[in-house]
Amino acid sequence: MAVKEPREDKDGDGSELGETARQMRAAQPYIGAVWKLTGGAVVGVLGGYWLDRWLGTAPWLLVGLSLVGICVGFYGFLREMARLGKQK
Amino acid sequence: MRKAMVLIASLFAAAAWASPEHGEHAAVEEHGAPAGEHGAAAGEHDENVPEYIIHHVSDSREMEFEVPLGKPIHLGTLPSWTLGNCTPKMTDHGEVVPGITEGCLDISLTKHTVMMFVAAGLLLITLLIWSNSDKTKLVPRGTGANLIEMLVLFVRDELAIKNIGKEEGPRYTPYLLTAFFFILFMNLLGLVPWMSTATGNIAVTASLALCTFIVTQVAGIRAAGLGGYLKHLTGGVAWWLWPIMIPVEVLGLFTKPFALTMRLFANMLAGHIVLFFLLGLIFILGHPGVAAVSVPFAFAIYLLELFVAFVQAYVFTMLSALFIGMSVAMGHHGHDDHGHEGGHSHDHGAAHH
Repeated sequence: MAVKEPREDKDGDGSELGETARQMRAAQPYIGAVWKLTGGAVVGVLGGYWLDRWLGTAPWLLVGLSLVGICVGFYGFLREMARLGKQK
Repeated sequence: MRKAMVLIASLFAAAAWASPEHGEHAAVEEHGAPAGEHGAAAGEHDENVPEYIIHHVSDSREMEFEVPLGKPIHLGTLPSWTLGNCTPKMTDHGEVVPGITEGCLDISLTKHTVMMFVAAGLLLITLLIWSNSDKTKLVPRGTGANLIEMLVLFVRDELAIKNIGKEEGPRYTPYLLTAFFFILFMNLLGLVPWMSTATGNIAVTASLALCTFIVTQVAGIRAAGLGGYLKHLTGGVAWWLWPIMIPVEVLGLFTKPFALTMRLFANMLAGHIVLFFLLGLIFILGHPGVAAVSVPFAFAIYLLELFVAFVQAYVFTMLSALFIGMSVAMGHHGHDDHGHEGGHSHDHGAAHH
C-alpha cells in the first residue's frame, strides 16, 4: 500500500525509512507552520471568548485577543518559513 | 460464489415474504381496510429502520441477541458500577446521571466493553496457541502460526522500521503489535453475528489514540530530552509571546490523535450503517423484490468490511508508527530535515546530542 521499498540511505544515518515516512518528515515543518498560522487565530478567539465570559467584559477581550492571536499566528508562520528558507 | 449469493438472496427474500408484518398487511387487505391505515403502517417501517440501525450500532448496557425480523432476545442488563456522587437527578429532560465534572465516574460494563474483553481474550488464546513456545524450533509450523508470524513481521519490518527507523523502530514494535492485533480483533468481532464493533465507539478509538499520543510524547522526550521537548513547545519565539504560542503548540499536538480517533471510529461505524441500510431498504421500500438487489450489495459490502477491518488496523498502526517516527526525528532534526550543513543554526539546536 502506501509504504514502498526503502530508497538508498541518503541521510547516512543508517535508517531504512519508507517513502511515506520520509515525505512526512520532510513535510512536517511546513505542516507545523500552517498549524501555527491557524492555531494562533483559534487560540486567540477561544481564549478571548472564554475570558470575556469569565470576566464579563464582552466583547473587548474577544476582539483584542483575536487580533493578538492572528498576529502571533502570522509571526510564527513567517518566522518558521524564513527559517526553513534559510536552511534550503 | 454466485450460487451462494443467489441462495442467500432467496433466503432473505423468503424470510421477508414470510415476515409477520407482511402477513398482517395481507390480512388487513383481505378485510378491506381503508388505504390510509395501510399507508400509516408502511410509514411506521420507514421510521423503524434508522431507529433499529442506531440501536444496533450504539453502546448500551443491555445484552441481547438481535433476531432478524423479530424482537431481540434479551440476555440481561450488565451491572452498573459508579464511583463517587452518582445519584440520578430529575431534570426537565427526565432522569439524568451526573457527569464527571460533578464527581461521578461511570465505569459500568457496556456492550462494547464486553466486546473489548472478548477481543482481548480471543487475542490471548490465539497467540498462546500459535506462539512459538518451543524456542529450539525457529520455524513456525502450521497455517495459524505462519499467518501470525507473517502479520508480526509485517508490523515490525514494514510499519515500525520503515516509519520510525532501524535504530528506534524495534523499541516501539511491541506497542504497535498490540495496537494492530487488538484493533484487528475488535474490527473482526463486529462482523460476527450478534457481536458488535467496539471500534465503532468513539470512546474506544479515543482511548486507543490517547495511548498512541502518550507513546509519541514519550518518544519525543526520549529523543530530544525534556529540555529539548519543552523548548519545541515554545515554537522558538520570544518569551513574552509564550502565553499565546504554548497553547498553539499544545493544541497542535492533539491534531494527530484526533485524526486517528475520527478515522477509525467513522470508518467502522459507517461500514456497519451502510450494510444495515442496504438491508433496511427492503423494509423502507416495502417490497421483497428489493432483496434481490440489496442483499447481494450488502454481501459485497460485508466482504469489503472484512477488508476494511484489516486496512483500518493497518492504517492506525501505520499512522501511529509515523507519528512516533516524527516525534523521534524531532530529536535528530539536523539529520533528517535539513541536511548536514547548517543543522545547528535553528531553534532546536539545544536538542542535539
